[in-house]
Amino acid sequence: MGTIRIDGREIPFKEGDNVLKAALAVGIEIPYFCYHDTLGSLGACRLCAVEITPKDPAKAPQVVMACLEPARDGLEVSVSALAARQVRQGVIEFLMINHPHDCPVCDEGGECHLQDMTVACGPPYRRYRGRKRTFTNQDLGPLVHHEMNRCITCYRCTRFYQEYALGDDLGAMRLRNEVYFGRFQDGPLASPFAGNLVEVCPTGVFTDAVFRQHFARVWDLKTAPSVCPHCSVGCNTLPGARDGTLRRIRNRFHAELNRWFICDRGRYGHQYSEHPARPLTPRVEDVKVSYRQALTAAAEQIKAARDKIGGLGSVREDLEGNAMLRALLYDLSGIFATFSDPQLEVATTTAVAQLQNTTRVLSLAEMEQVDAALIVGDLTAHAPMIDLALRQAYRNGAKLAVLHSGPTPLVRFAATTLTVPPHEIGAHLLRLNEWVAAPSAAHNKQEKELTDIATYLTAAHQPLLIGVIETMVAPEIAVLAQLSTALGSRARLAYALPGANAYGAALLTPASSTSAMLEAIESGQIQTLIVAGNDPLGDARLGARWRTACQRLNTLIVLDCVATATAEAADILLPVAAWAERSGTFVNYEGRAQGFASVFQRSEPLPSTAEVIADLAQCLGLAPPDAAVVLSDAFPGYQAPVPGTLGSPLAALPLPVQIDTTILPAKGPHPGRWQAALTSWYGDEPLAGFAPALLKLAPAAAALINPAIALSEGIAEGERVRLRGPVETMVLPVQLDNNVAAGTIALARGVLAQLGVGHGDPLELEKIS
Amino acid sequence: MNKQTPTLLIRLWRSLWTTLRHAWAKRETVSYPEVKRPLPGRWRGRIVLTRDPDGEERCVACYLCSAVCPVDCIHLQATQRADGRRYPETFRIDFSRCIFCGFCEEACPTLAIQLTPDFEMCERSHNELVYEKEQLLIDGQGKHVGYNFYRHAGIAIFGKAIGEGVCDTPPVDHDTNLP
Repeated sequence: MGTIRIDGREIPFKEGDNVLKAALAVGIEIPYFCYHDTLGSLGACRLCAVEITPKDPAKAPQVVMACLEPARDGLEVSVSALAARQVRQGVIEFLMINHPHDCPVCDEGGECHLQDMTVACGPPYRRYRGRKRTFTNQDLGPLVHHEMNRCITCYRCTRFYQEYALGDDLGAMRLRNEVYFGRFQDGPLASPFAGNLVEVCPTGVFTDAVFRQHFARVWDLKTAPSVCPHCSVGCNTLPGARDGTLRRIRNRFHAELNRWFICDRGRYGHQYSEHPARPLTPRVEDVKVSYRQALTAAAEQIKAARDKIGGLGSVREDLEGNAMLRALLYDLSGIFATFSDPQLEVATTTAVAQLQNTTRVLSLAEMEQVDAALIVGDLTAHAPMIDLALRQAYRNGAKLAVLHSGPTPLVRFAATTLTVPPHEIGAHLLRLNEWVAAPSAAHNKQEKELTDIATYLTAAHQPLLIGVIETMVAPEIAVLAQLSTALGSRARLAYALPGANAYGAALLTPASSTSAMLEAIESGQIQTLIVAGNDPLGDARLGARWRTACQRLNTLIVLDCVATATAEAADILLPVAAWAERSGTFVNYEGRAQGFASVFQRSEPLPSTAEVIADLAQCLGLAPPDAAVVLSDAFPGYQAPVPGTLGSPLAALPLPVQIDTTILPAKGPHPGRWQAALTSWYGDEPLAGFAPALLKLAPAAAALINPAIALSEGIAEGERVRLRGPVETMVLPVQLDNNVAAGTIALARGVLAQLGVGHGDPLELEKIS
Repeated sequence: MNKQTPTLLIRLWRSLWTTLRHAWAKRETVSYPEVKRPLPGRWRGRIVLTRDPDGEERCVACYLCSAVCPVDCIHLQATQRADGRRYPETFRIDFSRCIFCGFCEEACPTLAIQLTPDFEMCERSHNELVYEKEQLLIDGQGKHVGYNFYRHAGIAIFGKAIGEGVCDTPPVDHDTNLP
């Protein structure tokens, strides 16, 4: 678009760039604090002073802020001019006047922008001998530590927190030299993206409170490019490890996915790998044994079971582990499955089949550009970074419509919200489909809302339809895909899948394998079950059935890195490496295969799932399968994606899934008076559930009910009610929430598992007199 | 040639005289280890961790000593007390690798790590030369008497709230805009 000259060097720039952005793009280090690639320019810190020379020689050169100066063709800029250097030195000297000089105990030390800039442009000595202005700190919860004296007033925190992530509980207070960034009062930050403050803050005002407990300097940390294992988005991360333990997670820039930010589940969920209860030693019948002994014991049991064997992979197991287990089960003529719930299997495979049919699934960066979106379910809890991308779309003026049964933070930004019980979601999607095919007049309020949604979707240049698989059934997923087809080629479809590698697991899953496996165990057709990274006994809906079925097994062999209910019940437990301790591949919601590298080894190294299975095959006398060969058998032309790259689309054959679009009529009354709905929060995930700091933020167990229904039933807020599920009865306090549909009780995942009900299942509620 | 002979003799006698003189002179050699020479205070020998005037550990586990160490002989792990005060959970110096360069002392921002005039550290195995924190931490202030890092740094610890440091003014009340 043209060039500017910086200290005699010709620099190209793009239309709309400022001088700072153009200079940083080619590696010219103009000092700055408040500018951020995503948050933009503000001109608050005054550090990026440069001198520009006007074309007219009669005019004197000016000192301007590089971040606020638009790049114009032929602009003469000098970074090294004396006047500019003096301004920068003055800024640093001024910022350091009130600095607490506590770098030795500051967690930012070593990666502190203020340290770098002070060394780069500041005066070497302190002249000011007066006293410093001080601030008290706030308790911002278990994730972010606050140390306000270190602040340099760059406003990056509030710009991220309020403007970008649309949070409302952190802001700037006071004025002049006493601007204070904090909450109205002490308390945990409410935003699911609060952890990014640690990274956007150029000094140590916001630091990682979890890392602080086992702090190590950045230069001591071992890092390698990795991918987040906590949801299907597949954000790129940079884990840091030291002395054989995982210490922290930082965001790693990926231009199409997470870019500069990750959610708090991704940043703090990693603690599961350092959980005190994590299995690190193999066990056979509750006796600690060596890896070889456990392997031999497992091989003996597998040989004894002959073909009466099953293998259960997982949506959180990497592609290599799942594919190797499948290959082993083929060799042993056993049954292979990857899901613990047949309903979830059908839902996920249907979704993946639909995604394979669509032209292209939008990346996060593209989702920010959509101008209308229909969201089915609670995205914040199931794919937090998609939620953040849609918040950007909302900031850009997109109309969001949310169709949901339980609380979801996105309703705050929704133009239209439809709060309906789980069994009516499908009917509403059908009505939308009908409306798009043949627009009709609305007769009541709900139809008016449906009409509104259909109107934005049809009027939009690029409408996005996105569903949360865990709270949808297969026909609803298919109908959402039909709606996308009906909206034409502009419409884009996406689903938040139930695990980091749910896409890959679904591609490897034989049709109806989960129900086949459960029935085979119940009928004694499977005597030895190998479970890799799955927790069938802790399944919300079918946990009780699995527990009964597994009692019929001779041997339960579990390969896992967390102490799940299944790992606790295992006859033979083979601990495996957590994701940061091994390399592997996850396939995200777009079908993008991304490799992650092994960051570190524990003091006693653990094998990955794929390695355990190869060793097991060797013990069985089979030719040990090789992950690369197995994967190229499953996916023609498969090439392992290189960690640290953008990832590559996984070329897979279309999934042979029977697409069922029959939605049960919602007109009739639901079998029960009440229906359970899953209410989840951003930290709720099988692995992150072992992260102690994150769990401190988990909402208290309660039965969430719509206030209008509670009034008609005579239930008051805080009243304790008895919930009767097929497995257990529980007494819980009632919490009234406007975002819960009528006739629906929204419950946390743990409560659902205890009661033995899934999302959308009937449930009895009794008042305790 | 004739002239040289007496010179040689004189030289010879002079040397003999010097030798004889030294035979009765005061001894420079000390019979170490029975007798020990006083070493200068800034001698770079065995490393210690000192305490501040209040008797607390001076080390705040900032890792600068381990970063600057040219032979990588210092290993530590930071942790913190319930009141927020940082200290090293483990602090280990491998004296079989240490070259006593004193960089760690120079890098230490809290004057905690100090080299002492003691070099008598012989052991029979390398492992015994790995000193743990218990062996390094002394009950004294070492060379720098009276210095307390936390009195100067603007962070709160037990016994010193924000704004109570020697360089600080009382904290700003952020609930009001009035000066």
